[in-house]
Parts: sequence; structure tokens; C-alpha cells
Amino acid sequence: MTMPLVAIPVVETPDLLLRGYRESDFDAIADFGCSERARFVGGPHDRWACWRAFLAGMGHWVLRGYGMWVVEHRETGRVAGRVGMILNDGWHEPELGWHIFDGFEGQGYAYQAAYAARAYAARHQGLDGVISYIDAGNTRSLRLAERLGASFEREATLLGAPCRIYRHPTVGGA
Amino acid sequence: MSLSLPSPRLTTERLILRVPEARDIDAYVAFLTDPVRAEGFGAEPDRPKAWRWFAMNLGHWALHGYGYFTMEWKETGDACGMTGIWNPEGWPEPELGWVVFEGYEGRGIAREGAERARRWAYEDLGLATLTSNIVPDNARSIALAERLGARYERTYRNVHMGEDMLYRHPGPEECGA
Repeated sequence: MTMPLVAIPVVETPDLLLRGYRESDFDAIADFGCSERARFVGGPHDRWACWRAFLAGMGHWVLRGYGMWVVEHRETGRVAGRVGMILNDGWHEPELGWHIFDGFEGQGYAYQAAYAARAYAARHQGLDGVISYIDAGNTRSLRLAERLGASFEREATLLGAPCRIYRHPTVGGA
Repeated sequence: MSLSLPSPRLTTERLILRVPEARDIDAYVAFLTDPVRAEGFGAEPDRPKAWRWFAMNLGHWALHGYGYFTMEWKETGDACGMTGIWNPEGWPEPELGWVVFEGYEGRGIAREGAERARRWAYEDLGLATLTSNIVPDNARSIALAERLGARYERTYRNVHMGEDMLYRHPGPEECGA
């Protein structure tokens, strides 16, 4: 009665595991989503909205065959963020997105996670030369995009909110 | 990790109950973005939010092993509503829910589908009890809950819907499960 619907692959980096979802990840995801840190990704949200986003993150893999991974910090086993490819309804094209949770900034984890996700998407998901949507006020993310070699493409509107589109270089599929 | 989705396919005289598929999205969006029709269920303001709801339901299936089925009208193959078991964050306990899409009311679809989903929840999921949460002014749903043998238990505050009435269904034995 059960069919494997989509395999969420595990991707390893020196410090991180990108992996699928567990119910126990929800608290960390809600802590981020309910906090001021979520102001650049449409938040902060209430816990109910975080729950919806958590489940929708899983459903996205079912519908698209790709999505955001949970980023696990290997040394501690803690959830450090989410990263991966997003194509929700209303998006112009698949986007590389990253959320880094409290306590995991400033250590190069976001770069590591985004770099690995981007490479995986190019090689295995047919998504290369992708975009990232970034709020003009999100200086950390703007810096990370540039460090990843992405360049400003244009101003855009996402779900009614202004944002910038950055374009990543093609990194080579297999 | 593999996201596994159970794939029950239940049938009734006129309906197929199956896990939602991408081809159902437009019917869901039409329902969810209709503020009148979806009022008692939780309407969504636009297509992107309704799409996220659709994805959320699939995530609910993946996480819990149950969620809302698409009710498919056998004769045409069209999605004519949803019924299933719902238990998101903050819910008092798993509930049996149902909605019928535009153009399919008045045919007894909700009752036919919900009865089958309830039996599945008892027989296949092994649930021992079931509730339905109904907003106080949803007379249609209250009438159906009562026809299904459910009884009013209490009024409480739902995280999503606000003031909400909790109905309790007859248990597995009473339903012949």
C-alpha cells in the first residue's frame, strides 16, 4: 500500500548533511520561521503558517521532484537551516534558496550548503544557471550570492513583493 | 530518505478516493480561492497560496500516512471534492473532513466519501476515534456530521479557524469496522 514517491537524496559536505524531512525538524524550522530572521522570506510567520510551510516543503518534492533539503550540522546533529531548489506557484523559474538558522551564521555553512545544493541540482535535477530571489535589504544573502558567483540580473516582484533576481553561473550538469 | 506516500485507492458506488495528483491542482485551486465555498474550510487568497495548500496536503500524507483524498467522480474522472483525515500542528486530534466542489452538491457525495474514509481510518489506520471540527455557522456540515452519527462534544478555539465546534463520530465498532 506504500509507494516510494520521491527519494530525497542525501548530499554531504565537510560540515553538513543535506537530507529529507523528519517530524522532529519542525521545532527548528518553526523557530526560524516565527523569528525576525524570516523577514526576508515572507515572515515572520505564526507557528501554524510554519507548519504549513514545513509540510509544503515536503509536498514540493512530490510535485516537482526536487525541493529544499533540511541542512543538518554533522558535528552536533542540529538543524542548521534549509537549502535547495524552489518552484512554488508564482515563481518565474526554479530558484536556489537558503535559510540559515540562528547560531549557524558566519561559519561558511550557508556557502557550503548552497554550493552543494546548486551543484547537485545541476548534475541530477537538470537545473543549471538558476536564479536566486533576494530582498534588496538582505545584505548577508546578497554577499553570499556574489560569493557564489551569481550576478544581479533585474528587479522583480515575487508574490507582490519587490525583490532582486540574481543569476548563478552554469556549473555543469553530468 | 525516501518520501513515501501510502497509495490507498478506495471506491464507493460512485466515487474513487485516491491520493491527490498534480492533475487535481486546478480543481483544488478553484475551490480554495472561492471565499464563499471555502469559508468553513479555510479559503486561500490566491493561486500561489492555494498551490502551497495542495503541496501541504501531500506533505501531510508523507508525514502522517494520511491526509485529504481527492474524491473522483467515477463517471467522468473529474475531481469532485475531498475527504480524509486531517491532523496538522495545533489540532486537538485527527479529524474527518469533507468538501464538495462546485457543481457536485446535492448528490450525497460528501456522505458517500466521508463514510468510506472513516471506515478506512478505523480499519486501515487503526484509529480508535474520530472527530470533525466545524465552524458554528456551517449548517450544511453540521447536518452531515449528524447524519453520519457524530455528536456535538464541545466548542473550542482552533488555531486556524477560530471558534470551532468539535463533533465526535461513532467509534470503529459502531461503524462496523
